[in-house]
Amino acid sequence: MIDFSGVNKWFGPLHVLQDISLTVAKGEVVVVCGPSGSGKSTLIRCINGLEPFQSGRLIVDGADLANRKALRALRMEVGFVFQSFNLYPHKTALENVTLAPIHVRRLGRAQAEERGRALLEKVGLGDKMGSYPHQLSGGQQQRVAIARSLCMQPKIMLFDEPTSALDPEMINEVLDVMVSLAREGMTMMVVTHEMGFARKVADRVIFMDRGAIVETAPPEMFFTAPAHARTRDFLGKILQH
Amino acid sequence: MFWFYLERVLGYWPVLLKGLGMTIGLSLLSLVIGVAIGFAFGIIRAGRNRWLSRALGLYIDLFRATPFLVQVFIVFFILPVIGIELSAFAAGVVALSNMAACFIGEIVAAGLKAVPAGQREAALASGMTRAQQMRLVVMPQAVRIITPSLVGQFVLLIKDSSVVSAIGLLDLTRAGWLIVQSVPNGLLVFGIIGIGYFIICYPLIWLSRRLERRSQAAFL
Repeated sequence: MIDFSGVNKWFGPLHVLQDISLTVAKGEVVVVCGPSGSGKSTLIRCINGLEPFQSGRLIVDGADLANRKALRALRMEVGFVFQSFNLYPHKTALENVTLAPIHVRRLGRAQAEERGRALLEKVGLGDKMGSYPHQLSGGQQQRVAIARSLCMQPKIMLFDEPTSALDPEMINEVLDVMVSLAREGMTMMVVTHEMGFARKVADRVIFMDRGAIVETAPPEMFFTAPAHARTRDFLGKILQH
Repeated sequence: MFWFYLERVLGYWPVLLKGLGMTIGLSLLSLVIGVAIGFAFGIIRAGRNRWLSRALGLYIDLFRATPFLVQVFIVFFILPVIGIELSAFAAGVVALSNMAACFIGEIVAAGLKAVPAGQREAALASGMTRAQQMRLVVMPQAVRIITPSLVGQFVLLIKDSSVVSAIGLLDLTRAGWLIVQSVPNGLLVFGIIGIGYFIICYPLIWLSRRLERRSQAAFL
Protein backbone atom coordinates (compact mmCIF):
# COMPACT_ATOMS: atom_id res chain seq x y z
CA MET A 1 0.00 0.00 0.00
CA ILE A 2 2.86 2.36 0.94
CA ASP A 3 6.31 1.60 -0.39
CA PHE A 4 9.34 3.83 0.29
CA SER A 5 12.61 2.82 -1.34
CA GLY A 6 15.73 4.88 -0.78
CA VAL A 7 13.88 8.15 -0.21
CA ASN A 8 16.04 11.19 0.63
CA LYS A 9 15.00 14.72 1.43
CA TRP A 10 16.95 17.83 2.32
CA PHE A 11 15.77 21.17 3.71
CA GLY A 12 18.69 23.21 2.41
CA PRO A 13 21.77 21.61 3.95
CA LEU A 14 19.70 19.65 6.45
CA HIS A 15 19.29 15.96 5.52
CA VAL A 16 15.80 15.41 6.99
CA LEU A 17 15.03 12.01 5.46
CA GLN A 18 17.99 9.68 5.07
CA ASP A 19 17.61 6.75 2.71
CA ILE A 20 14.16 5.71 3.94
CA SER A 21 12.99 2.26 2.90
CA LEU A 22 9.75 1.04 4.35
CA THR A 23 6.73 -0.95 3.29
CA VAL A 24 3.28 -0.78 4.83
CA ALA A 25 0.81 -3.48 3.82
CA LYS A 26 -2.94 -3.11 3.42
CA GLY A 27 -4.67 -3.11 6.81
CA GLU A 28 -1.47 -2.57 8.71
CA VAL A 29 -1.21 -0.05 11.56
CA VAL A 30 2.24 1.51 11.91
CA VAL A 31 3.18 3.89 14.69
CA VAL A 32 6.11 6.26 14.13
CA CYS A 33 7.87 7.81 17.10
CA GLY A 34 11.08 9.66 17.77
CA PRO A 35 12.42 12.90 19.22
CA SER A 36 11.26 16.19 17.73
CA GLY A 37 13.13 17.06 14.56
CA SER A 38 13.70 13.39 13.77
CA GLY A 39 11.78 13.65 10.49
CA LYS A 40 8.71 11.63 11.46
CA SER A 41 6.19 14.29 10.42
CA THR A 42 8.09 14.91 7.21
CA LEU A 43 7.97 11.18 6.52
CA ILE A 44 4.20 10.89 6.62
CA ARG A 45 3.71 14.23 4.88
CA CYS A 46 5.57 12.75 1.91
CA ILE A 47 2.95 10.02 1.57
CA ASN A 48 0.23 12.34 0.28
CA GLY A 49 2.59 14.74 -1.42
CA LEU A 50 2.46 17.57 1.13
CA GLU A 51 6.27 17.42 1.12
CA PRO A 52 8.31 16.80 -2.02
CA PHE A 53 11.51 14.75 -1.75
CA GLN A 54 14.66 14.84 -3.83
CA SER A 55 15.58 11.23 -4.48
CA GLY A 56 14.27 7.70 -4.18
CA ARG A 57 10.90 6.18 -5.01
CA LEU A 58 7.61 6.28 -3.16
CA ILE A 59 4.64 4.26 -4.39
CA VAL A 60 1.30 4.77 -2.61
CA ASP A 61 -1.77 2.76 -3.60
CA GLY A 62 -0.10 1.95 -6.92
CA ALA A 63 0.67 5.60 -7.74
CA ASP A 64 4.22 6.93 -8.06
CA LEU A 65 4.61 10.16 -6.03
CA ALA A 66 7.09 11.42 -8.63
CA ASN A 67 4.13 11.87 -10.95
CA ARG A 68 2.76 15.20 -9.69
CA LYS A 69 -0.24 14.94 -12.02
CA ALA A 70 -1.56 11.84 -10.29
CA LEU A 71 -1.28 13.51 -6.88
CA ARG A 72 -4.80 14.89 -6.71
CA ALA A 73 -6.36 11.50 -7.43
CA LEU A 74 -4.10 9.95 -4.80
CA ARG A 75 -5.01 12.53 -2.15
CA MET A 76 -8.66 11.51 -2.46
CA GLU A 77 -7.64 8.05 -1.27
CA VAL A 78 -5.39 9.19 1.57
CA GLY A 79 -6.89 10.88 4.63
CA PHE A 80 -4.67 13.21 6.66
CA VAL A 81 -5.27 14.32 10.24
CA PHE A 82 -3.23 17.30 11.44
CA GLN A 83 -1.85 18.12 14.86
CA SER A 84 -3.67 21.46 14.82
CA PHE A 85 -6.94 20.01 13.40
CA ASN A 86 -7.19 22.66 10.66
CA LEU A 87 -10.97 22.58 10.56
CA TYR A 88 -12.54 25.22 8.35
CA PRO A 89 -13.67 27.90 10.85
CA HIS A 90 -16.37 29.30 8.56
CA LYS A 91 -18.14 25.95 8.18
CA THR A 92 -20.20 23.88 10.62
CA ALA A 93 -19.02 20.42 11.69
CA LEU A 94 -21.26 18.78 9.10
CA GLU A 95 -20.16 21.20 6.36
CA ASN A 96 -16.52 20.53 7.24
CA VAL A 97 -17.14 16.83 6.79
CA THR A 98 -19.09 17.06 3.53
CA LEU A 99 -17.13 19.79 1.71
CA ALA A 100 -14.58 17.59 -0.04
CA PRO A 101 -16.99 14.71 -0.79
CA ILE A 102 -19.32 17.17 -2.51
CA HIS A 103 -16.72 19.17 -4.43
CA VAL A 104 -13.92 16.67 -4.94
CA ARG A 105 -15.76 13.32 -5.08
CA ARG A 106 -18.76 14.96 -6.77
CA LEU A 107 -21.12 13.23 -4.40
CA GLY A 108 -24.72 14.52 -4.26
CA ARG A 109 -25.36 16.80 -1.30
CA ALA A 110 -28.02 14.52 0.23
CA GLN A 111 -25.80 11.48 -0.01
CA ALA A 112 -22.78 13.34 1.35
CA GLU A 113 -24.79 14.64 4.29
CA GLU A 114 -26.13 11.19 5.05
CA ARG A 115 -22.60 9.82 5.07
CA GLY A 116 -21.34 12.80 7.07
CA ARG A 117 -24.05 12.45 9.73
CA ALA A 118 -23.29 8.75 10.14
CA LEU A 119 -19.58 9.50 10.60
CA LEU A 120 -20.17 12.30 13.11
CA GLU A 121 -22.44 9.89 15.04
CA LYS A 122 -19.69 7.32 14.91
CA VAL A 123 -17.10 9.67 16.46
CA GLY A 124 -19.64 10.59 19.14
CA LEU A 125 -20.63 14.04 17.85
CA GLY A 126 -24.18 13.36 16.69
CA ASP A 127 -25.36 16.39 18.66
CA LYS A 128 -22.71 18.78 17.26
CA MET A 129 -23.49 18.68 13.51
CA GLY A 130 -24.42 22.36 13.35
CA SER A 131 -21.66 23.63 15.63
CA TYR A 132 -18.80 25.77 14.37
CA PRO A 133 -15.23 24.73 15.23
CA HIS A 134 -14.77 27.57 17.73
CA GLN A 135 -17.75 26.20 19.68
CA LEU A 136 -16.08 22.79 20.06
CA SER A 137 -13.36 21.59 22.44
CA GLY A 138 -10.01 20.47 21.04
CA GLY A 139 -10.93 16.80 21.36
CA GLN A 140 -14.23 17.39 19.60
CA GLN A 141 -12.51 19.34 16.83
CA GLN A 142 -10.02 16.56 16.24
CA ARG A 143 -12.83 14.00 16.07
CA VAL A 144 -14.59 16.17 13.47
CA ALA A 145 -11.28 16.29 11.57
CA ILE A 146 -11.08 12.50 11.60
CA ALA A 147 -14.68 12.24 10.38
CA ARG A 148 -13.84 14.79 7.67
CA SER A 149 -11.05 12.57 6.37
CA LEU A 150 -13.14 9.39 6.63
CA CYS A 151 -16.00 10.92 4.67
CA MET A 152 -13.82 10.70 1.54
CA GLN A 153 -13.74 6.93 2.15
CA PRO A 154 -9.95 6.78 1.98
CA LYS A 155 -7.89 3.61 1.71
CA ILE A 156 -5.15 4.96 3.96
CA MET A 157 -5.30 7.25 7.01
CA LEU A 158 -2.31 9.32 8.11
CA PHE A 159 -2.16 10.96 11.55
CA ASP A 160 0.44 13.62 12.33
CA GLU A 161 0.63 13.87 16.15
CA PRO A 162 -3.17 13.96 16.43
CA THR A 163 -3.23 14.30 20.22
CA SER A 164 -0.22 16.56 20.84
CA ALA A 165 -2.25 19.76 20.86
CA LEU A 166 -4.91 18.40 23.21
CA ASP A 167 -5.46 18.80 26.92
CA PRO A 168 -4.77 15.47 28.69
CA GLU A 169 -8.41 14.77 29.49
CA MET A 170 -9.33 14.89 25.79
CA ILE A 171 -6.64 12.59 24.47
CA ASN A 172 -8.53 9.37 25.11
CA GLU A 173 -11.70 10.37 23.27
CA VAL A 174 -9.58 10.85 20.13
CA LEU A 175 -7.51 7.71 20.67
CA ASP A 176 -10.70 5.65 21.14
CA VAL A 177 -11.87 6.71 17.68
CA MET A 178 -8.48 5.78 16.23
CA VAL A 179 -8.46 2.40 17.98
CA SER A 180 -11.86 1.48 16.58
CA LEU A 181 -10.71 2.60 13.14
CA ALA A 182 -7.63 0.38 13.42
CA ARG A 183 -9.75 -2.58 14.48
CA GLU A 184 -11.96 -2.12 11.43
CA GLY A 185 -8.93 -2.85 9.28
CA MET A 186 -7.95 0.66 8.09
CA THR A 187 -4.40 1.03 6.82
CA MET A 188 -2.92 3.61 9.18
CA MET A 189 0.33 5.41 9.79
CA VAL A 190 0.37 7.35 13.03
CA VAL A 191 3.03 9.72 14.28
CA THR A 192 2.51 9.78 18.04
CA HIS A 193 4.09 9.41 21.44
CA GLU A 194 0.99 7.68 22.83
CA MET A 195 2.67 4.40 23.60
CA GLY A 196 -0.53 2.95 25.07
CA PHE A 197 -2.11 3.33 21.65
CA ALA A 198 0.92 1.70 20.03
CA ARG A 199 0.74 -1.29 22.38
CA LYS A 200 -2.95 -1.72 21.80
CA VAL A 201 -3.26 -1.60 18.02
CA ALA A 202 0.08 -1.17 16.24
CA ASP A 203 1.39 -3.99 14.09
CA ARG A 204 4.79 -2.31 14.04
CA VAL A 205 6.47 0.58 15.78
CA ILE A 206 9.11 2.60 13.99
CA PHE A 207 11.68 4.68 15.82
CA MET A 208 13.25 7.56 13.89
CA ASP A 209 16.18 9.73 14.84
CA ARG A 210 17.97 12.44 12.85
CA GLY A 211 16.10 11.65 9.64
CA ALA A 212 16.73 7.90 9.62
CA ILE A 213 14.74 4.86 10.64
CA VAL A 214 16.70 3.41 13.55
CA GLU A 215 14.50 0.52 14.52
CA THR A 216 11.35 -1.27 13.39
CA ALA A 217 9.72 -3.89 15.58
CA PRO A 218 6.36 -5.30 16.70
CA PRO A 219 5.22 -3.38 19.81
CA GLU A 220 5.88 -6.11 22.38
CA MET A 221 9.48 -6.39 21.19
CA PHE A 222 9.88 -2.67 20.70
CA PHE A 223 8.96 -1.90 24.29
CA THR A 224 10.52 -4.88 26.07
CA ALA A 225 13.66 -5.53 24.07
CA PRO A 226 14.66 -2.62 21.83
CA ALA A 227 17.75 -3.50 19.83
CA HIS A 228 19.34 -0.06 19.65
CA ALA A 229 20.79 2.12 22.38
CA ARG A 230 19.16 5.24 20.94
CA THR A 231 15.72 3.57 21.09
CA ARG A 232 16.30 2.54 24.70
CA ASP A 233 17.42 6.05 25.53
CA PHE A 234 14.30 7.56 23.92
CA LEU A 235 11.92 5.08 25.56
CA GLY A 236 13.58 5.76 28.91
CA LYS A 237 12.78 9.43 28.49
CA ILE A 238 9.14 9.09 27.51
CA LEU A 239 8.13 6.08 29.64
CA GLN A 240 9.70 6.94 32.98
CA HIS A 241 6.49 8.33 34.51
CA MET B 1 -30.15 86.76 5.86
CA PHE B 2 -29.32 83.11 6.66
CA TRP B 3 -32.84 81.91 5.90
CA PHE B 4 -32.90 83.91 2.72
CA TYR B 5 -29.68 82.26 1.48
CA LEU B 6 -30.78 78.84 2.66
CA GLU B 7 -34.01 79.19 0.68
CA ARG B 8 -32.04 80.20 -2.40
CA VAL B 9 -29.59 77.30 -2.07
CA LEU B 10 -32.42 74.83 -1.61
CA GLY B 11 -34.07 76.44 -4.65
CA TYR B 12 -31.25 74.82 -6.60
CA TRP B 13 -32.41 71.36 -5.53
CA PRO B 14 -32.49 69.98 -9.09
CA VAL B 15 -28.74 70.73 -9.42
CA LEU B 16 -28.03 69.35 -5.96
CA LEU B 17 -30.00 66.21 -6.72
CA LYS B 18 -28.25 65.78 -10.05
CA GLY B 19 -24.88 66.18 -8.34
CA LEU B 20 -25.83 63.71 -5.66
CA GLY B 21 -26.97 61.24 -8.31
CA MET B 22 -23.69 61.65 -10.20
CA THR B 23 -21.61 61.14 -7.05
CA ILE B 24 -23.53 58.00 -6.13
CA GLY B 25 -23.60 56.64 -9.69
CA LEU B 26 -19.92 57.29 -10.31
CA SER B 27 -18.92 55.82 -6.95
CA LEU B 28 -21.11 52.76 -7.31
CA LEU B 29 -19.92 51.93 -10.82
CA SER B 30 -16.27 52.45 -9.88
CA LEU B 31 -16.83 50.39 -6.75
CA VAL B 32 -18.15 47.38 -8.67
CA ILE B 33 -15.35 47.54 -11.24
CA GLY B 34 -12.74 48.32 -8.59
CA VAL B 35 -13.79 45.39 -6.40
CA ALA B 36 -13.76 42.96 -9.34
CA ILE B 37 -10.30 44.04 -10.52
CA GLY B 38 -9.08 44.50 -6.93
CA PHE B 39 -9.83 40.87 -6.02
CA ALA B 40 -7.99 39.70 -9.14
CA PHE B 41 -5.05 41.95 -8.16
CA GLY B 42 -5.11 40.57 -4.63
CA ILE B 43 -5.02 36.95 -5.79
CA ILE B 44 -2.05 37.71 -8.03
CA ARG B 45 -0.28 39.70 -5.29
CA ALA B 46 -0.65 36.84 -2.79
CA GLY B 47 0.02 34.22 -5.48
CA ARG B 48 2.98 32.00 -6.20
CA ASN B 49 4.28 33.78 -9.29
CA ARG B 50 6.83 36.15 -7.75
CA TRP B 51 7.65 38.17 -10.84
CA LEU B 52 4.03 38.76 -11.74
CA SER B 53 3.35 39.74 -8.13
CA ARG B 54 6.27 42.17 -8.03
CA ALA B 55 5.36 43.76 -11.37
CA LEU B 56 1.80 44.26 -10.19
CA GLY B 57 3.09 45.57 -6.85
CA LEU B 58 5.05 48.25 -8.69
CA TYR B 59 1.98 49.24 -10.70
CA ILE B 60 -0.12 49.42 -7.54
CA ASP B 61 2.47 51.50 -5.68
CA LEU B 62 2.61 53.90 -8.61
CA PHE B 63 -1.04 54.77 -8.07
CA ARG B 64 -0.94 54.61 -4.30
CA ALA B 65 1.93 57.10 -4.24
CA THR B 66 0.55 59.76 -6.59
CA PRO B 67 -2.24 62.26 -5.89
CA PHE B 68 -5.59 61.20 -7.27
CA LEU B 69 -6.07 64.57 -8.95
CA VAL B 70 -2.93 63.94 -11.00
CA GLN B 71 -4.23 60.51 -11.99
CA VAL B 72 -7.53 62.00 -13.14
CA PHE B 73 -5.66 64.60 -15.25
CA ILE B 74 -3.51 61.91 -16.80
CA VAL B 75 -6.52 59.84 -17.81
CA PHE B 76 -8.47 62.84 -19.08
CA PHE B 77 -5.78 65.04 -20.67
CA ILE B 78 -2.78 62.81 -21.40
CA LEU B 79 -4.42 59.63 -22.69
CA PRO B 80 -5.99 61.50 -25.65
CA VAL B 81 -2.43 62.32 -26.77
CA ILE B 82 -1.84 58.62 -27.38
CA GLY B 83 -5.23 58.29 -29.02
CA ILE B 84 -7.46 57.19 -26.13
CA GLU B 85 -10.18 59.79 -25.86
CA LEU B 86 -12.65 59.39 -23.03
CA SER B 87 -15.71 61.36 -21.96
CA ALA B 88 -15.41 63.07 -18.58
CA PHE B 89 -17.63 60.39 -17.04
CA ALA B 90 -15.67 57.50 -18.56
CA ALA B 91 -12.39 59.14 -17.52
CA GLY B 92 -13.75 59.53 -13.99
CA VAL B 93 -14.80 55.89 -13.83
CA VAL B 94 -11.47 54.68 -15.20
CA ALA B 95 -9.42 56.76 -12.77
CA LEU B 96 -11.59 55.96 -9.75
CA SER B 97 -11.96 52.23 -10.36
CA ASN B 98 -8.25 51.90 -11.11
CA MET B 99 -7.32 53.58 -7.86
CA ALA B 100 -9.90 51.56 -5.92
CA ALA B 101 -8.56 48.34 -7.49
CA CYS B 102 -5.02 49.21 -6.38
CA PHE B 103 -5.99 49.79 -2.74
CA ILE B 104 -8.44 46.88 -2.63
CA GLY B 105 -5.81 44.62 -4.23
CA GLU B 106 -3.42 45.20 -1.34
CA ILE B 107 -6.21 44.70 1.22
CA VAL B 108 -7.26 41.41 -0.41
CA ALA B 109 -3.64 40.20 -0.63
CA ALA B 110 -3.15 40.94 3.08
CA GLY B 111 -6.38 39.06 3.87
CA LEU B 112 -5.33 36.02 1.86
CA LYS B 113 -1.96 35.94 3.60
CA ALA B 114 -3.67 36.19 6.99
CA VAL B 115 -5.47 32.86 6.49
CA PRO B 116 -3.35 30.22 8.29
CA ALA B 117 -1.31 27.96 6.00
CA GLY B 118 -2.89 24.91 7.63
CA GLN B 119 -6.21 25.81 6.01
CA ARG B 120 -4.83 25.55 2.52
CA GLU B 121 -2.97 22.40 3.49
CA ALA B 122 -6.13 20.72 4.80
CA ALA B 123 -7.94 21.59 1.59
CA LEU B 124 -5.00 20.38 -0.49
CA ALA B 125 -4.81 17.10 1.44
CA SER B 126 -8.48 16.43 0.69
CA GLY B 127 -7.79 16.55 -3.04
CA MET B 128 -9.08 20.02 -3.90
CA THR B 129 -7.70 21.84 -6.94
CA ARG B 130 -5.98 25.19 -6.38
CA ALA B 131 -9.11 26.98 -7.60
CA GLN B 132 -11.29 25.02 -5.16
CA GLN B 133 -8.92 25.73 -2.27
CA MET B 134 -9.22 29.42 -3.04
CA ARG B 135 -12.97 29.49 -3.65
CA LEU B 136 -14.17 27.16 -0.90
CA VAL B 137 -11.64 27.57 1.90
CA VAL B 138 -9.20 30.47 1.67
CA MET B 139 -11.21 33.30 0.06
CA PRO B 140 -14.30 33.02 2.30
CA GLN B 141 -12.05 33.37 5.36
CA ALA B 142 -10.05 36.22 3.82
CA VAL B 143 -13.27 38.09 2.99
CA ARG B 144 -14.34 37.88 6.64
CA ILE B 145 -11.02 39.26 7.75
CA ILE B 146 -10.98 42.17 5.31
CA THR B 147 -14.64 43.21 5.16
CA PRO B 148 -14.28 46.07 7.68
CA SER B 149 -11.28 47.58 5.85
CA LEU B 150 -13.00 47.02 2.53
CA VAL B 151 -16.04 49.01 3.63
CA GLY B 152 -13.70 51.70 4.96
CA GLN B 153 -12.13 51.81 1.49
CA PHE B 154 -15.58 52.36 -0.06
CA VAL B 155 -15.94 55.49 2.08
CA LEU B 156 -12.61 56.82 0.80
CA LEU B 157 -13.70 56.07 -2.76
CA ILE B 158 -16.89 58.09 -2.39
CA LYS B 159 -14.98 61.04 -0.95
CA ASP B 160 -12.26 60.83 -3.60
CA SER B 161 -14.94 60.94 -6.29
CA SER B 162 -15.25 64.68 -5.53
CA VAL B 163 -11.94 65.17 -7.36
CA VAL B 164 -13.57 64.40 -10.72
CA SER B 165 -15.41 67.72 -10.50
CA ALA B 166 -12.06 69.11 -11.70
CA ILE B 167 -12.65 67.67 -15.18
CA GLY B 168 -16.14 69.10 -15.40
CA LEU B 169 -18.33 66.28 -14.16
CA LEU B 170 -21.42 67.61 -12.40
CA ASP B 171 -21.07 65.72 -9.13
CA LEU B 172 -22.04 66.89 -5.67
CA THR B 173 -18.90 69.03 -5.29
CA ARG B 174 -19.31 70.69 -8.67
CA ALA B 175 -22.94 71.41 -7.86
CA GLY B 176 -21.57 73.38 -4.91
CA TRP B 177 -19.23 75.36 -7.14
CA LEU B 178 -22.11 76.24 -9.46
CA ILE B 179 -24.47 77.31 -6.69
CA VAL B 180 -21.89 79.37 -4.82
CA GLN B 181 -21.54 81.59 -7.89
CA SER B 182 -25.07 82.94 -7.42
CA VAL B 183 -25.43 82.49 -3.67
CA PRO B 184 -22.50 84.31 -2.04
CA ASN B 185 -22.33 82.24 1.13
CA GLY B 186 -19.64 79.57 0.72
CA LEU B 187 -19.93 78.29 4.26
CA LEU B 188 -23.62 77.56 3.87
CA VAL B 189 -23.34 76.06 0.37
CA PHE B 190 -20.43 73.76 1.13
CA GLY B 191 -21.92 72.97 4.54
CA ILE B 192 -24.89 71.51 2.70
CA ILE B 193 -22.60 69.71 0.23
CA GLY B 194 -20.69 68.26 3.18
CA ILE B 195 -23.91 67.04 4.73
CA GLY B 196 -24.69 65.32 1.42
CA TYR B 197 -21.42 63.35 1.57
CA PHE B 198 -21.95 62.61 5.24
CA ILE B 199 -25.38 61.15 4.57
CA ILE B 200 -23.89 58.73 2.01
CA CYS B 201 -20.77 57.83 3.98
CA TYR B 202 -21.97 57.64 7.56
CA PRO B 203 -24.06 54.46 7.16
CA LEU B 204 -20.97 52.80 5.63
CA ILE B 205 -18.76 53.88 8.52
CA TRP B 206 -21.34 52.57 10.95
CA LEU B 207 -21.54 49.29 9.00
CA SER B 208 -17.76 48.96 8.97
CA ARG B 209 -17.59 49.37 12.74
CA ARG B 210 -20.34 46.81 13.27
CA LEU B 211 -18.66 44.30 10.97
CA GLU B 212 -15.35 44.80 12.75
CA ARG B 213 -16.93 43.92 16.07
CA ARG B 214 -18.60 40.88 14.52
CA SER B 215 -15.50 39.58 12.78
CA GLN B 216 -13.56 39.89 16.04
CA ALA B 217 -16.21 37.74 17.69
CA ALA B 218 -16.38 35.16 14.90
CA PHE B 219 -12.94 33.65 15.29
CA LEU B 220 -12.76 33.36 19.07
